[in-house]
Amino acid sequence: MSDELKKIGEIVVRERMSRRKFLRGVGATGAGLALGPLLAACGDSTTTTTAGGTATTAAGETTTTVAATKGGSLRVGIVGGSAKDTLDPGRSSFEPDNAFVTQLYDGLMGLDTDFRLENRLAEAVEPNADASVWKIKLKSGLEWHDGKPVTAEDVVFSFQRTLDPADPLLGAPGLGGLEPNGIVKIDDSTVEFRLTKPNAIFAEGLAMRYNMIVPVGYDPAKPVGCGAFKLAEFRPGEQCSFTAFDGFWRGAPNISDLTIIEFADEAARVNAFLSDTVHAITQLPRAQVGVVEASAGHQILRAKTGAWQPFCMRIDLEPYSDVRVRQAFRLMVDREQMVEQAYAGYGWVANDMYSPFDPGYPVDLPQRAQDLEKAKALLKEAGYENLQVELITSDAIGGGVVAAAQVFAEQAKGAGVTVTVNKVDSGVMYGDQYLTWPFSQDFWYTRNYLSQAAVGTMPTAQWNETHWDDAEWLKLVEEAFRTGDETKRNELITAAATIEYERGGNIIWAFNDQIDAHSEKLTGLAPDKSGIPIGGFRFHNVSLA
Amino acid sequence: MPPLLKLILIRLGLGILTLFLVSVIVFWATQALPTDTAQAILGREATPERLEVLRAKLGLDQPIQAQYGHWLAGVARGDLGESLVQQDVKVTKLLSSRVVNSGILVLVAALVSVPFSILIGSLSAVWRDTKFDSVVSTGNLALAALPEFVVGIGLVLLFATSVFKWMPAVSRIDPGVSLASQLDLLVLPAATLTLAVAPYVSRILRASMIEVLESEYVMMARLKGLKGPLVLWRHALPNAIAPTLQVIALNLAWLAGGIVVVEYLFAYPGIGQSLVDAVANRDLPMIQALVLLIAAVYVVLNLVADIATILVSPRLRTGMR
Amino acid sequence: MSELPKVTDSNLVEPASASGGGAGSEWVATLRNAWSFNRTRIGVGIVVVIALLAVLGPVFAPHTPTEFVGAPYAKASGTALFGTDSLGRDVLTRVLYGGRTVLSLALAATIIGLFGGVTFGLIAGYARRWVDETVMRTLDVLLAFPQLVLVLLLISVVGPKLWLIVLMVGLSHAPRIARVTRAAALEISQRDFVKAAEALGESKLRILVAEILPNITSPLLVEFGLRLTYSIGLIAALSFLGFGLQPPAADWGLMINENRIGVSVQPWAVALPVMLIGVLTIGTNLIADGLGRALIGIERTGGES
Repeated sequence: MSDELKKIGEIVVRERMSRRKFLRGVGATGAGLALGPLLAACGDSTTTTTAGGTATTAAGETTTTVAATKGGSLRVGIVGGSAKDTLDPGRSSFEPDNAFVTQLYDGLMGLDTDFRLENRLAEAVEPNADASVWKIKLKSGLEWHDGKPVTAEDVVFSFQRTLDPADPLLGAPGLGGLEPNGIVKIDDSTVEFRLTKPNAIFAEGLAMRYNMIVPVGYDPAKPVGCGAFKLAEFRPGEQCSFTAFDGFWRGAPNISDLTIIEFADEAARVNAFLSDTVHAITQLPRAQVGVVEASAGHQILRAKTGAWQPFCMRIDLEPYSDVRVRQAFRLMVDREQMVEQAYAGYGWVANDMYSPFDPGYPVDLPQRAQDLEKAKALLKEAGYENLQVELITSDAIGGGVVAAAQVFAEQAKGAGVTVTVNKVDSGVMYGDQYLTWPFSQDFWYTRNYLSQAAVGTMPTAQWNETHWDDAEWLKLVEEAFRTGDETKRNELITAAATIEYERGGNIIWAFNDQIDAHSEKLTGLAPDKSGIPIGGFRFHNVSLA
Repeated sequence: MPPLLKLILIRLGLGILTLFLVSVIVFWATQALPTDTAQAILGREATPERLEVLRAKLGLDQPIQAQYGHWLAGVARGDLGESLVQQDVKVTKLLSSRVVNSGILVLVAALVSVPFSILIGSLSAVWRDTKFDSVVSTGNLALAALPEFVVGIGLVLLFATSVFKWMPAVSRIDPGVSLASQLDLLVLPAATLTLAVAPYVSRILRASMIEVLESEYVMMARLKGLKGPLVLWRHALPNAIAPTLQVIALNLAWLAGGIVVVEYLFAYPGIGQSLVDAVANRDLPMIQALVLLIAAVYVVLNLVADIATILVSPRLRTGMR
Repeated sequence: MSELPKVTDSNLVEPASASGGGAGSEWVATLRNAWSFNRTRIGVGIVVVIALLAVLGPVFAPHTPTEFVGAPYAKASGTALFGTDSLGRDVLTRVLYGGRTVLSLALAATIIGLFGGVTFGLIAGYARRWVDETVMRTLDVLLAFPQLVLVLLLISVVGPKLWLIVLMVGLSHAPRIARVTRAAALEISQRDFVKAAEALGESKLRILVAEILPNITSPLLVEFGLRLTYSIGLIAALSFLGFGLQPPAADWGLMINENRIGVSVQPWAVALPVMLIGVLTIGTNLIADGLGRALIGIERTGGES
């Protein structure tokens, strides 16, 4: 009985408030693009370029500081304040958890600031021909915070812990095809993952923060990892402090200690930063950008990301079941204006398709722009002249969402469509009607195409807001999951994305920038395309002047 | 039984009865009205099995009277259930520090506003029909009309963001640091509450003071050769304050509700802000606890006001309902 | 339970009692008397100006309230005299459009409160005995909640629906209005003409509506002014807390909520609606105060309280 209750408690947590930043955040660490070259096991550097656009303009950010200053205590302010904070990577749900575990642990693989897969603890990651067996070789000389060596046994332990059928951790859904008995130690530094079915994006699962490696006998209460920082003191809901780990595999961090402080309130976080109580903060409100830029010694860190806040039309309900209505709605949007008004310009225009950093992303399709005449004609053709619809929105979805809803309502007038904005609070938005709203908004973080499809658009997906169900599309996606060859797989992805471009239920109008702020004294931060704040919480190579 | 004691006992009894009815209303509104709380919690992921287990956990499978009894017994034990938003965390744990913060704010506001209003009220009485008096009178009338958030935003615009930049615009108390080192955070919220309360207290004090100053008692003191200020502060004031005790207590009671808007405005981590959050998140156990708490403070202070009035002015005994 | 803590000059004095005179004409006398106070005239002036602004404002608005005229939080310029709001809409236009909702919702809530309060108060004051006790005790329990908290409690159950907010704000006034009504009705029901009507066998409803009600209009007039002040404050406060009108409506309370985050960059979007709400409540309170003074017959002098 009590176990049952506990499980229900977990479900409640997931399904209510936390549904947000919880599993949906998975993608923020979960997808790769340059699989090919990396699988050939060539360490950290890669020549693959990002698909989908120009590099961000955040000036003066370099990852390699010449003659970095050593020492110093870094203080960082983040969004948080819940007593439910955890240091267990397998259960890390919210921004504080993410910030903490990123310091303490590392994974076999990870994502670099350009959202490309990179080997971390792994020296080599080699799949077989149909991507059903993955062989991992560890780097040599890896060390835990307590001085013990990192071995294949630790890797086996970590993934068996993740897949524990009695209590699977958050990383489990990202490891499709892996069973506990499929994790095999070959020698002290080699592990083989033998999958029950081919999984071309298994490496993306290895790169998730939930699947970072912990030592045999891991105790979350006394966390030992192999990340850049060791735990000093943890006060859930308030702050967590760390000291530098000299044995970190990339080399000892420049700073000597680090404190990450949680702020429940937006204005308090900004004030703490402007008064130099902290060196950096996450999630700077767009309205405050001007204030920070005008203030001496402070600057913003603007990262172009693949995160999106779509309008979701349910394709199984009238009037959206008519593809012409969906097309008309997409044509009503003046995307530049929406970015300008709702995001104050901090975003880049999107083309009704997600996963812009995926190598299969169709870059050649024409950018959709506002065309009110065509929209009107389509609506007339479909028999929906003077259409009136209700749009469900909520502040709980994220900043800029309610603003975008209002911009949409205004723009829709041009095509003779009356949009009534219905702003509900978080309890209603993610209450029992969530995923049944006919026309609503939602948010997603950066993911690559197949990972995104698995959680958002496949019939089995948990958050299929548009009720997308397209046989032709599904065939392509399922085939892509079975295709080890990268070029072929990318072609399948391009074809699938094109179908969504033509008849999907999402209006994807922009990818929003991640805006954080830091002191000019803090150098060595790089914008991170994943959308994880402050350069993905990477503090091992930052310096304090 | 002396009639006065009897009257006070009746008041006490009525107060307790009111508290009981308040708890019935709070419970009925939050738990009995929604068709199915468990469904609301589980949302789309609700399956018959999960619903059943959760209903049992929340006691929803019992008749409503039993649920109420269970809840009331919990309240009596100091157990207000668990938050729905922060699962497995006791409401009391979430609220304890917030109750303290709100208490500090109300206390500071009371400590400032009561002496301040008494001073202003007394001076207006002494200098009645002067320029000072009419300025105070006009100011009181205006302040009494203004909603608290208008006063608060006015203070923010004036002292924090737009005209002067002397004060913090938000008041997040850092639990890790001593409150003494962050007293500046209390200034604007406390000032807002003070300005909301002061007009009522100072006005009633002025009226009462005028009455006392014109009384034979004060005339006599003056004739005996006592100096003006001494007569005023040692003799007249204590007599003038007594009739205003009720209004002071009522205004303190008002503060219990007034903090909702003020705390939200200044992002002050107290129960008022918790209430706004809980309403937005439909966190029913939190709402029950907070509304009950605020209403209880309100009822108790009203009771104090009533009894104080009965004690200081026996002539009111027959006039009051 | 005691009288509400929020008071104005007028009900610091013993609850209003009707000052005799023929039925129906006394409230005219009260009005005339009230008009002789400067504060009443100033109050009426303020309310008339703001009401005109709210009603006619849209005619003079340079833009439509939802069109985008610049970047979000743009500074004051030729196209936007007071700058733009969080979405880049004209602040002046939205201010000119945003008074209607505040005024009409507050008015509606006050009328609902008056209707409910007078009904309960009349019944209690005339029926006496156990009906009186029951009605007044029930209302007393509602008085145990601060008005805003009571409204929030119901919003948490039903959701922030506009009709609910108007209804709840109105009903939260009812207990207070009922007390005043009851006190006045209690006195009137002792008068000879009521006794006479009873002796003639007139129906209770008729006595209540035709004999008692016309004789207690003056205190009700004061109550109306007072409750209107509080209705404006409460409804604007609820919008400010995020439980009011739906975007993209132009509404003073909602404007404050929407633009608060940018107040250090663009203060006008917050300052203008705040000032207007403030001035409006001062205006209605001045009227209520003038009426109250007229009712209790305070001499017309400058600075007395």
